[in-house]
Amino acid sequence: MAPESKKIKGLPILVASPVDVGRLVREIESMNEMFMQLSLRKPGAEVKMPKTSRLMDQTILLNELNLLLSEDRLLLQQFLRAVKERAPVIHASFNADPPVAFMEKLVSWLRQEVNPLVLVTIGLQPNMGAGCVLRTTNRQFDFSLRENFAKKRELLTSMLHVEETAA
Amino acid sequence: MTIWWLVVILGGLGSAGIGFIWLAVRLNQVSSAARPRQSESIEETADQDVEHVFNKEFREELRNRGRLHFEKIIGENAMFLQQDLRLTTSQLNEYMKTEITRKLKEEFDKYEESITDAKQLAIESIQKTNTAIDDQRKVLSQQVQEEISAEKQVRLQRFEANMADIINHYVLAAIGNQIDLNDQLEYILADLEANKQAIIEDIQNGA
Repeated sequence: MAPESKKIKGLPILVASPVDVGRLVREIESMNEMFMQLSLRKPGAEVKMPKTSRLMDQTILLNELNLLLSEDRLLLQQFLRAVKERAPVIHASFNADPPVAFMEKLVSWLRQEVNPLVLVTIGLQPNMGAGCVLRTTNRQFDFSLRENFAKKRELLTSMLHVEETAA
Repeated sequence: MTIWWLVVILGGLGSAGIGFIWLAVRLNQVSSAARPRQSESIEETADQDVEHVFNKEFREELRNRGRLHFEKIIGENAMFLQQDLRLTTSQLNEYMKTEITRKLKEEFDKYEESITDAKQLAIESIQKTNTAIDDQRKVLSQQVQEEISAEKQVRLQRFEANMADIINHYVLAAIGNQIDLNDQLEYILADLEANKQAIIEDIQNGA
């Protein structure tokens, strides 16, 4: 019976930014080196078991991988490298640092509606008031309150005229 | 004309005076030339008679009468001359008065006419000046009104632009930090949903 070929399902929600992917890549490389050192160790030498991060744990759990197997490690490493090199990155700016729950919902929506491997980087623009500014590869989408006010300046001016006429 | 008349009158008066003097001298010569030149006897007789009749007293009497007559004639003529002179002087005065009055009236009329013309010219000039000033004032008023309107429009637009910026800045500063991101999530996701297709296309077509 031939072994069933595994397939990577995706990235966990917490792995949202290219930095997170880079950490995972470094982690998996570190694990590979550690396992190679284990294979070369002298008998009787002390073995120090690797510790995985929370992001790695979720990644393993989501993709049902066994990192003790070199094939799984290789598969995950290739996947993470591919994601790091080719995954689309969206830069989102807010007026304050977004909480984790907010980021989870945002990344979840983006991966569900836009691209399952999309990565998000966060920026801060305190003067935007509310909303967000989204920047993709070639375009920028300004959903901020500042932009909304700027678009509706004519309405404000017309309201001022109405007030002035009524006065 | 007046001076010539005066010269003629004075000449007439002078001629009349000279005539009277010549008449007195002539009468004197006639009286002396009237002595008879008759024969000596007759002359003598006559002389005697004459001497008798025309004695010294009688001649003196005649001379006195002649002198009186002459003086009377002279007096009458002098009176007539005086009357004529007074009349002439009166007429001359009247004529001079009339002429001077007429001349003065003509001069005053000319002067009045000149004054009237000058007054008319001054009035026309003042009217033209007033018309020009009124036109200039209207043009100036219109220009000032246009400039005021333009300046008002500029200031109003500047005020509106600044006012909109101030209100936007105030609202952003006032509520920007008060809205929690979790509360904004629905709004943000709605915007993302509205622009989802554009985002997907840009990601797919990205470099």
